Order: sequence, then structure tokens, then C-alpha cells
Amino acid sequence: MSHPSILKLEAHLIDPARSLIAGHLASCDHCRELLLKMQQQGDEFMRIVYPATVQALEPRRTSRWSWAGIFAPVAALAAAGVVMIVNRGPASDYEGTKGVAIKLNVYASFEAGAKVLSDKDQVPASAALRFRVQPSRACNLGIVSVDERGEVSRLFPASGNEGAKLAAVEDLPGGAILDGKPGPERIFAVCSADPLAMPQVEQAVKVASGTGADSVRNMSTIPGLPAGTVQATLLLEKSP
Amino acid sequence: MPAVDGVAQLYRQFGPVVYRRCLALLHDREAARDATQEIFRKLLVDQKKLLERESVLPWIYRVATNHCLNERRNRGRRGEEELQPDLQVATEAPPDLFPERQLVQQVLARFDQETQAIAVGVFVDGMEHEEIAAALGISRRTVLRKLGRFVENAKKFMLRSTG
Repeated sequence: MSHPSILKLEAHLIDPARSLIAGHLASCDHCRELLLKMQQQGDEFMRIVYPATVQALEPRRTSRWSWAGIFAPVAALAAAGVVMIVNRGPASDYEGTKGVAIKLNVYASFEAGAKVLSDKDQVPASAALRFRVQPSRACNLGIVSVDERGEVSRLFPASGNEGAKLAAVEDLPGGAILDGKPGPERIFAVCSADPLAMPQVEQAVKVASGTGADSVRNMSTIPGLPAGTVQATLLLEKSP
Repeated sequence: MPAVDGVAQLYRQFGPVVYRRCLALLHDREAARDATQEIFRKLLVDQKKLLERESVLPWIYRVATNHCLNERRNRGRRGEEELQPDLQVATEAPPDLFPERQLVQQVLARFDQETQAIAVGVFVDGMEHEEIAAALGISRRTVLRKLGRFVENAKKFMLRSTG
């Protein structure tokens, strides 16, 4: 008697309704026994392995975004001459440093390849993004975003309480994946000559953003940051 | 690509497939647990493939098989553990293939990874030549050629070993 392969048994376990081997299983004690053993191993996975390992696979549980090394090097894009983004001026209560600026480039992956994004661009709600940041002089960088629910996400650096040192133009390692929820998402790149306290930046964004789509769309700077902090922002419209 | 919640969901859905594969090839719960996590991390690098219903299982099979065969080889090289002739051969393999089944168990580690994966697929997992070819992303002709070479060289090896 010929028996189905392991792959066919796995397919049956995943989707019994579409199984191609249901007829065979009905008349084969050997395969039913094998299937039972496989189910028991699956139960063991859910009982023991899953709880012990899932957290390590979720890089940023508290974030609405996830990081991943998913794109081809952004340097290749730069070589193609795609550079552009928003560098908004400071609000009236913003104390910037004269002559210091920062440029943020955001790239998204599409079927046809990666594309540099412009302010207010529509992107798929689950788009994968990468960042290039160019400061006019060495500084400590942090990137955060906020959505219409007022939820603030840390995008860079992925961990730690301080911004990451940035000496010159840099394609940031990894990337970020949007949370899949349609609506506006505003990204801020913030850089400071002094150490940058990321919790302070996140809190400042939260306080300033409020909630609501228009609030996010109209927010152009993060007020209340320490003197010498420069910032750039980009608004994305996440579409279903 | 799914966000964090999506990762957990995918892990719940396909983690058991990976874990079973690791148990079958590594025969060690702790090693299987670690390997499952590492393999899933590899799979997540290309998450879109996890959403492609028709091709996801062969892809997982390929990645998991290659990883576990590597792990078996590395464990042997590190001397942490002697390679065990512990693979359960498929009962559906025809009786006249029995000598080949023994060969699979005893000489697997002497062959390149792709040949190992083919031999395991055919003799251990009971896969048809076309099925293993599709799962490994190679032609059926390559499967036949490598399988033939595997059996032939393995027999020679066995003859030398017993002679």
C-alpha cells in the first residue's frame, strides 16, 4: 500500500478541509497513527516550545512596527540618484541650532522595486520601510512615529534609552514594517549634538500629537525638545 | 509583511511543521526547540512566502531540512554527539529498497547537503521524485541523478566498510 508523504500529511493537518488524502486516511491505520503522533508533536510545540521562543521572534513587542533586514542595500538606491524628503522648519517654540540640519529619506518596497517616498505619499498599510539620514554634522539620532490613535513607536535605534551616534549620511541598518492599520503615520527623525534621551522624545511626540487623523497630519514639529535638537518629518498615508 | 501580531500568528500556524521536521531529523527535543526558533527566524526574513498557500509547505520543508541536516553535520564535526543512525525510514518505500534504507541511515553524512536532502526526502519522508524535486527547487532529473549517485557510492562505501 502506498502512503502519502510527510508533506501531504502536513498539508492535511494545516487544512483538513482541502486535504487530498482524506480518503486514504479513512482506510489506513498506519497513516492515522502517524498523523496522531504528528498532532501530539504539534501540541507539544504549542505547550512548550511556542511560549518559550515566541518572544525572541517578536523583536519589538511594544511597538506597532517590526524591524527586519528586508531590503537590498539602500546605497544602491542612492547610486540611482533618488534622494529627496522633507526637512520641516521649526515651530515658533522650537529652539534649533543655527546652521545645523538633518535630512531624512524614507524608502518603501513595492512589487516593482524600492521607491523613495515623498511627504503625504500613500503606501500599503503593511509596507516595509528603510531610512537614510543625513545630518549636517555629527549628532545623536532617534526616529519615532505617531499614528492617529496617538500611539508613538520607536523606529530607531531599536533598543536603549539614547539616540544612536551618527557622524555622516548613513543608511540605517534593518528597517521598519508598518502596522497594517490604514490612516496617517507621521515619522520624525530627531538629532542632537548632546545625548538624546529617547523616552523624552517619545513623550514629547505623544503630548504634542494628541489623537485624530488631522492632528497627525497637521503636526509639523515636536515641540519641547532640548536646545540644539534638529528634526525632520515625513507624513505617510497608509492605505488598505 | 505582517507586523508583530502577524509573526506570532504565523509561528502558531507553521511552528508545529518546523518543530516536527526538527524532531524527525534531530531526535532531540532541546535541539529541535532551538532549531525551530532559528529556522523560523530564517523564514521570517521572507515572510511573504509564508502567506503563499500553495508553496509555503515545500518551502518550509526545504529550509528546515537543510538547517537540520547542517546541524547534524555540525554536531558530528564538533564531536558533541555522534551522528546517530536514527532516521525512521518511510514504510511506503518498496521492500526491494531495504538495503538502500540502511544505506541512508549509515552513510548520509558522507554526501553533500542537497544529496542528503534528496535521500532523506525519498527514503525517510516517502516522497515521490517529483515531489522532492519541487520541494527542493531542483529538477526531477537532478533528483534522479543525485539519488542514483548516492545509492551507488553508498553501496561502495558499505562494501568497503564490511569487507
